[in-house]
Amino acid sequence: MSYTLRGRFESRLAASVLPFLVALVLSPLVREWWPLELVGCMLIVGLVLDLVVYDRLDYQPGWAALPLGLLELGLTMTLARLLSVGAPPWPALAIFAGSWVVAQLLTHAVLPSRRLTYAEESGELGRGGFALAAVGAAVALGTLGAAWSMQPPTYRLARGVHEGPLELVTAQRLVGDPGAIVKGGIVITGDDVEVRDVTVRGGEHGIEVDGADAVVLDGVKVEGAKLDGINVRRSSVEIRDCEIRSRSGAYIQGIDISFGFDLAPSLVEGCSVTGGLEGIVVHFARVKVRDNRVSRTELRAITMTEMSDGSVEQNDVDDAKGVGIFCGDYSRCVVDENVVSNVSADAGSDDRTRQGVAIQSHFWAKIMLGQNRVHSSPQAVGAALGGTIEGK
Amino acid sequence: MYAIVGGGLAGFTTYVTLRHAGLEPAEIVVFDDDPNPVARWRPRAEAIRQTEMRSESDGHCSARSFPGLAVREARRRRTIAPLVRSVCDRYRPSVAEFLDHVEELRQQTSWDASFRQATISRVAAVPGGFELEGQGVFQHVVLATGHPGLRRPARLLDNRRAVHAYEPHDYADTVAIVGAGMAAATEWRNALASGATVVSVRRREPRRRPLNVDRELLTKRGLRSFQKTDPAWRAELLTRFAEPSYPPGRAWDEPIERATAEGRFRVAGDWDDAEQVICATGFGRGYREDPLLRALAGDHGLDTVDGWIVLEPDAAVGGLCDATRTLAIAGVAAQWAYPAADTLVGMKYVARRFLDRSRRCRTR
Repeated sequence: MSYTLRGRFESRLAASVLPFLVALVLSPLVREWWPLELVGCMLIVGLVLDLVVYDRLDYQPGWAALPLGLLELGLTMTLARLLSVGAPPWPALAIFAGSWVVAQLLTHAVLPSRRLTYAEESGELGRGGFALAAVGAAVALGTLGAAWSMQPPTYRLARGVHEGPLELVTAQRLVGDPGAIVKGGIVITGDDVEVRDVTVRGGEHGIEVDGADAVVLDGVKVEGAKLDGINVRRSSVEIRDCEIRSRSGAYIQGIDISFGFDLAPSLVEGCSVTGGLEGIVVHFARVKVRDNRVSRTELRAITMTEMSDGSVEQNDVDDAKGVGIFCGDYSRCVVDENVVSNVSADAGSDDRTRQGVAIQSHFWAKIMLGQNRVHSSPQAVGAALGGTIEGK
Repeated sequence: MYAIVGGGLAGFTTYVTLRHAGLEPAEIVVFDDDPNPVARWRPRAEAIRQTEMRSESDGHCSARSFPGLAVREARRRRTIAPLVRSVCDRYRPSVAEFLDHVEELRQQTSWDASFRQATISRVAAVPGGFELEGQGVFQHVVLATGHPGLRRPARLLDNRRAVHAYEPHDYADTVAIVGAGMAAATEWRNALASGATVVSVRRREPRRRPLNVDRELLTKRGLRSFQKTDPAWRAELLTRFAEPSYPPGRAWDEPIERATAEGRFRVAGDWDDAEQVICATGFGRGYREDPLLRALAGDHGLDTVDGWIVLEPDAAVGGLCDATRTLAIAGVAAQWAYPAADTLVGMKYVARRFLDRSRRCRTR
């Protein structure tokens, strides 16, 4: 087949209609934009290649579809990664492969059989091509419009103190101006809630997330909560660049993420957690704890326990009493590239497992241990009560 | 009413396209001597022992490009091998497959119901259509008269040792084969396979290319450039395209190399010593060798360049078409519009455009 540039564009647009429709159905089902974004990436890569590379080919034999398809796959995945599309690899591959098969069937069988002059016209679709371009533009605008209309509303929290607790029960973005403070805590029960640049003072928990999906806490600061700085139950969250200052005392923790093992994995990244019984604690959940600074904790700095699954990487743990990083109770933890300093023995406890262990596997838990640095701590790595440690 | 003058492959392909578009057999008349659309093509293919078609997957007579003969064969033999070869541009349907396909289409399209046994040697433009020599007036007419006879070197016209490659023949012990195109290359292999010693008589070295014309000319871009050329240059291009060629590949080269090493194949300037001379020199060329086209051009004062009647890009005879009637030329004589008009792909090109133009006429 020998295509003109117009023929390539029109054939590609025709071949992208079905994948777009599938993505339009799939996106609401998985409650994610990545299917539409991925198909968009595929189309952009294809059109650019048509314009820059393929148009130089005078003749394209049928077998060339395979290497060119692999080229488009590589470029599409690269573009998706650059644009942070967040498509899971296997479903993304399945969508690409399905779209490729549809395109081959369309250009080699369906269009040549439905349009007699398809090959002679070098892939051009005549008046149908103009209609297709119009439909393509309409679909693109419609998709963008739908995306825009489905964006949650944004509320700005002005500088000053606002009486809480604030209850966020629907999707929304709450963005604090510099100096915006909520007194008495924030309670989040709605999906797709984002809280950014807000300081919380006091409250039972500083920020409580309960039964909510896709919650983002970015740049929040919590001071003086009675219990946890951030308390997450049956939810999936991304907590970034937060600052938690906890009081000392029983039952007080910096960040507690629990009981969401069956939900999407959560993330705690770039936070500074000071004080509390435990700095960051995970119970029965899948969580990445990465690049945080945790210090001056009374029980443990970072805890992953009760059959949790996750990773503790690139954190800086300092001045923890008893244990630095703890993986317990049948959990599986990757512990890598952390710096653990100044872990001290718990002088008030006769528990022999709390005598200043930087990294500990406890009660049938398993640690996959990478390269960590331990300073000024009585014991660098320890396993107790059936806990195991393996090299990563 | 539609008329197709000539019931060979070009006429048949046009008929199939018209039927696909919804025309009934009663709306089309096909004029020829023989109702079999392969009556002239088949003996020629048999004469040169042709077993495979030269064209690739689109070389069939169906109106639609897909499914072609590769799909047909894959279904029949229950194997994907023809499809794989087609994807790799390596599929050549067998002559038997092609003949079966033609026969199948002949039945499906009720070709015989439209056939009228008659020889048309004159076409006259009349108001609202074309008068076909006593057969009545037809609004839309395609002239698909085919190749105007076999061509032989003048010195061999009365030579009893000579036979044309497209006529039935066996092989003597020493055979001179005149020509260097596809038919000649096929005859080299045939004669060598029969045990003969072959002398290849040629005026020029053949070009090696997979198809009759450069692939570029089968593309829209290439065709657009071709159709923009000025008449003299286009005539020269067409003459160049007619130079002898046959496909590249070991299947063609190996028998020649082996026979050359054995002293059974050589190239020479003359055929003096040969017991038999085979003229693989193709067909007569130009509208003047076709009585109907010669009369058409003469009677209506059509524009011509060298051996070509000047045609519109859709192979219509521009001077004789108007808003009420259509006259087009299909087959080899349409090369002015489409250089590969003598191939099945070219025949479909003309048929589809003839259909389009006829549909634009206000009386239909």
